[in-house]
Amino acid sequence: MKISLNWLKEYIDLSNISTDEIISHLTMSGLEVEDVVDQNKIYQKFIVGLVKETEKHPNADKLSVCKVFDGKNELQVICGAPNVQAGQKVVFAPIGTLIPNGDFEIKKAKIRGIESHGMICAEDELLLSDDHSGIMVLDEKNIVGEKISEVLNLNDVIFEIAITPNRPDALSHIGVARDLAAIFNRELKMPKIMLDEKGDNIAALASVEVEDIKNCPRYVAKVVTGVQIKESPLWLKKKLENIGLRPINNIVDITNFILHETGQPLHAFDLDRLNDKKIVVKSTKSETTFVTLDAKERKLPSNTLMICDSKKEVAIAGVMGGENSEITSSTKNILIESAYFNPSSIRKTSKSLGLSTDASYRFERGTDPNITKFAAERAAQLISELADGKVAKGMIDVYPEVILPKEIKLRFSRTSKILGYDIPSEKIKTILSRLGLALKVVDDDTLLVSVPTFRPDIEREIDLIEEIVRINGYDNIPTVTKINISLEEKSDETAFAEQLRQAATSLGFFEMINNPLQSEQQAKLSGNAIRIANPLSADMEYLRTSLLPGALITVAKNIRQGVKDLKLFEIGDVFNKNNDLEIKNFADFSEDQKMILVITGNNNLKSWNASETKSDFYHIKGYVDSFIKKISLDNVLIDSYYSSVNQIYAYHYTKSFKNLVIGIGGKVNSDVLKKFDIHQDVYCFEFDLTLIRLLEFKPKHYKEPLKYPKVVRDFAFIFDKSVRYLDVKNFIINKSSDLLKDVKVFDIFENEALGIDKKSIAFTLEFFDENRTLTEDEVEKDFSNLIMLISKEFNAKLRGN
Amino acid sequence: MLDNKISEIKNSFTADIKSVSSSKDIEDIRIKYFSRNGLIAQLFEKLKDASKEDKPELGKKLNLLRNDLTLQFDTVKDKIILSDTSKENIIDLTLPGNEFVIGSKHLLTQTLDEIKSIFKGLGFSVAGGPELESDYYNFESLNFPADHPARDMQDTFFISKDFLLRTHTTPVQIRLMEKQAPPVRAIMPGRVYRNEAVSARSYCMFHQVDGIYVDTDVTFAELKGTLISFAKQFYGANLKYRFRPSFFPFTEPSAEMDITCYLCHGKGCKICKNTGWLEILGCGMVDPNVFKYVNYDSEKYTGYAFGMGIERIALLKYGLTDIRIFFDNDLRFLKQF
Repeated sequence: MKISLNWLKEYIDLSNISTDEIISHLTMSGLEVEDVVDQNKIYQKFIVGLVKETEKHPNADKLSVCKVFDGKNELQVICGAPNVQAGQKVVFAPIGTLIPNGDFEIKKAKIRGIESHGMICAEDELLLSDDHSGIMVLDEKNIVGEKISEVLNLNDVIFEIAITPNRPDALSHIGVARDLAAIFNRELKMPKIMLDEKGDNIAALASVEVEDIKNCPRYVAKVVTGVQIKESPLWLKKKLENIGLRPINNIVDITNFILHETGQPLHAFDLDRLNDKKIVVKSTKSETTFVTLDAKERKLPSNTLMICDSKKEVAIAGVMGGENSEITSSTKNILIESAYFNPSSIRKTSKSLGLSTDASYRFERGTDPNITKFAAERAAQLISELADGKVAKGMIDVYPEVILPKEIKLRFSRTSKILGYDIPSEKIKTILSRLGLALKVVDDDTLLVSVPTFRPDIEREIDLIEEIVRINGYDNIPTVTKINISLEEKSDETAFAEQLRQAATSLGFFEMINNPLQSEQQAKLSGNAIRIANPLSADMEYLRTSLLPGALITVAKNIRQGVKDLKLFEIGDVFNKNNDLEIKNFADFSEDQKMILVITGNNNLKSWNASETKSDFYHIKGYVDSFIKKISLDNVLIDSYYSSVNQIYAYHYTKSFKNLVIGIGGKVNSDVLKKFDIHQDVYCFEFDLTLIRLLEFKPKHYKEPLKYPKVVRDFAFIFDKSVRYLDVKNFIINKSSDLLKDVKVFDIFENEALGIDKKSIAFTLEFFDENRTLTEDEVEKDFSNLIMLISKEFNAKLRGN
Repeated sequence: MLDNKISEIKNSFTADIKSVSSSKDIEDIRIKYFSRNGLIAQLFEKLKDASKEDKPELGKKLNLLRNDLTLQFDTVKDKIILSDTSKENIIDLTLPGNEFVIGSKHLLTQTLDEIKSIFKGLGFSVAGGPELESDYYNFESLNFPADHPARDMQDTFFISKDFLLRTHTTPVQIRLMEKQAPPVRAIMPGRVYRNEAVSARSYCMFHQVDGIYVDTDVTFAELKGTLISFAKQFYGANLKYRFRPSFFPFTEPSAEMDITCYLCHGKGCKICKNTGWLEILGCGMVDPNVFKYVNYDSEKYTGYAFGMGIERIALLKYGLTDIRIFFDNDLRFLKQF
């Protein structure tokens, strides 16, 4: 919201306070000044120039070469405006001037071969309006060389203030002035109404009926007759322009002025365009269309609060007037509406129409029901002054239930308890009084505070405490130098994920964070994806059901950048619907934490003494096993292998605890990779951390290192190619004695010498006993027995020997 | 007699060791003196025949001899091996070593780690909650009335009428207080979503850390002290800061904490919009209405709460200018941290 410093000064004496002080105090009391435009600084260098002569630029049709007199010298200036003429007094920007729109500096330049020593300005370049149709021509009475800031009265400072949604009272100049009054402990001066009601009695001219009193608790109307619609006087136009509004005509400008002065939105109807000169406030019963004064046809849902006359709708209450009753150049008689509407009703209308106006913005935050009369009278007075109208006697005020100030108790002791320090009670009283609140002392510790209706945000004691501390200054709150740390149980729910991250990075993986919002195709790759009702775009319409699509997007992006060897991981939540109904409670969907490992390209760095190895299935499987060991789940999980292609994998395997699949991974199939524009093999594994967390982890216990020697024996067999390693391994474990503690594969190969469809697998067997040294004989017995059994079971042939 | 033998061996060893010139000589000496049947071993063999009285004395002497000769032998041996110029012992030490890649956590995770460890040191636990949240937890119980403009402060992705993607991590405060009675002291990191167009300054999802402390005597002064301690640990002890009033529906009074702009050091620049200050977090005293939702007695208990955006903090700390870099996952970025 734009606030003019000159305008503020009409309501509060700010003498002896610097602009910088005002800015910092506003910010430090909750009205954050986001931007400051100091016209004195901006327009410092612009002066009145006289165009002495113009001639066409020899090399450009649309440019003129002008001679401009700046009061001392005659300068050659190139100008592109169609309306430049000799004899004009113009706004001249000499070399070195900073042009406010676009922030560029005027320099000596050659334009199409001819030198230019400055610029003749248009209104938009000066940020005075959007007009760029031609240069700005000044009144010829102005003296050449004079400062533009003097000539055009550009000596204001404009603040851009961010008003938080709890402060509707600050959405006006009087509102901001009231805060300043409290901050600097000065008096707030409200404008005086001097109304000369020369016209007929209002009852004879108009009537108002409010059907929907819930949504329109108060409706005030004043009538002014015999008005003349014309341009506003300079002071009024200037005021509006300074805060970024475009002057329209005296009536519209007056309503805008009062909105920005008091925060009360007004609407002016052409009284003669209202059937039966009657206003009816009611809500629509069905869907309706309505043309607003910006000439747009709008669809209104049923139950929209409308201002009507006896036959038709004439305005969308609190949002925008209608074309059918707006002020035109021929308007003679005016009805001024100054109403209080229910904030949530206006907000609903504004939301459903997607239309936010200065009026709706204020109504939906909460205006003051008790300033409506003041605002209507002030408007009537200004219209009589600036539009030669006659103000009708009296006013219409439909206000069946008067809204009274709230009364709230404030305890000084409570203030200290919340803040941690004491503010003197006299100081508290001054602050609250300056903010316009009425005080009654109840006892030593308690005030009864009457909160006027312009502060709908102050409802409770804590709201008063906030007012006190924000005006008194947060800087004045002492800072404690020590704190108590209670000894309740401490926990860290992120610790498990943290442990996994540590493991992943130590294995050389880099963490990625992918966007969980995905396209339908990506999200539905592996789950029952949840759709977002109001997505940003089609490629962010669904929530991810797996971490794989995001990982593949990242893989593809990196490959395009030339980084083809990747080891990446992510920990994040995925979302699935549990049924096909609309989501109404937490049972309708699941949110699970997952972790994915993904590898592609080479698994190691190429070096002068080592060639690269392509990442493959056994790498991902190995990484997974390293993880499983790290979280002490080795020996409790069961692997299942699936060698046929499914919709995600070319082949894959799962890890389960009993019947619970806690992880799945493998080689991503080429169809999926193609969709992500990836042309190299990708292997991945996705853990379900939510499930893993449910498993019981055995606490770690020290185990004494083996005291007795191990006996290690190797053998190799020639098997049919179809024989699986795991089957042989399990067979060995089953058939040998308890002395066998480990079986490992150490070599696999195929060649012609072995025979067609044959392969050799070599095993290392480890025998030991924790309590004694084994004898050669007992190992030999086990070993030779195994050789015999394997040969028989698998139709295998022992190699060597 | 043994004494004579000792000095004899000593002399011959001294002569032999002086004439060593190759590893073959070294090996010869080793065999002659130190092998199983070498001269020293033979002497020890003779010790068996010595009388009981002489044995300890002689044993000591022999040990001394053996240690002395071994030391001399080893010194010469090392020298010979070092100066041995046979080919297989030469390597080019200047060749690069075999490097292994250590991965890294995402910069945002690292930033969060730092924040976590500071608050853990201040006695906070770490809690979490769901990203797909109900309207009740995300808004209603945090004192955002339905149809209130305060809801416009956070553009929301809706899933259905009552469910949405959480717009802040603050709902975890409610979930925590529902579960336990005061004192409650925890931070709540997590991912949040906003329905905002993606640009250099904003992204449709980002990360926050919320914090809450509720007990019988928690004051605004303590909130200030705690957050200043955090900011100084995180940004450096010379930090300048300010607290200014703001508005959040779930805290009252509310504040925003600013620190001096890292780029212009307070002079005013584009990054800080010419104010010299950068906002780093929002905070305030827990609103009594919030306590009502979790059945805490607001006359007995007071509390403070705060929240900060991790991306924003990381951008400021590491001098990044585009938030999208965090979610591009370009390895060339990931590897830098």
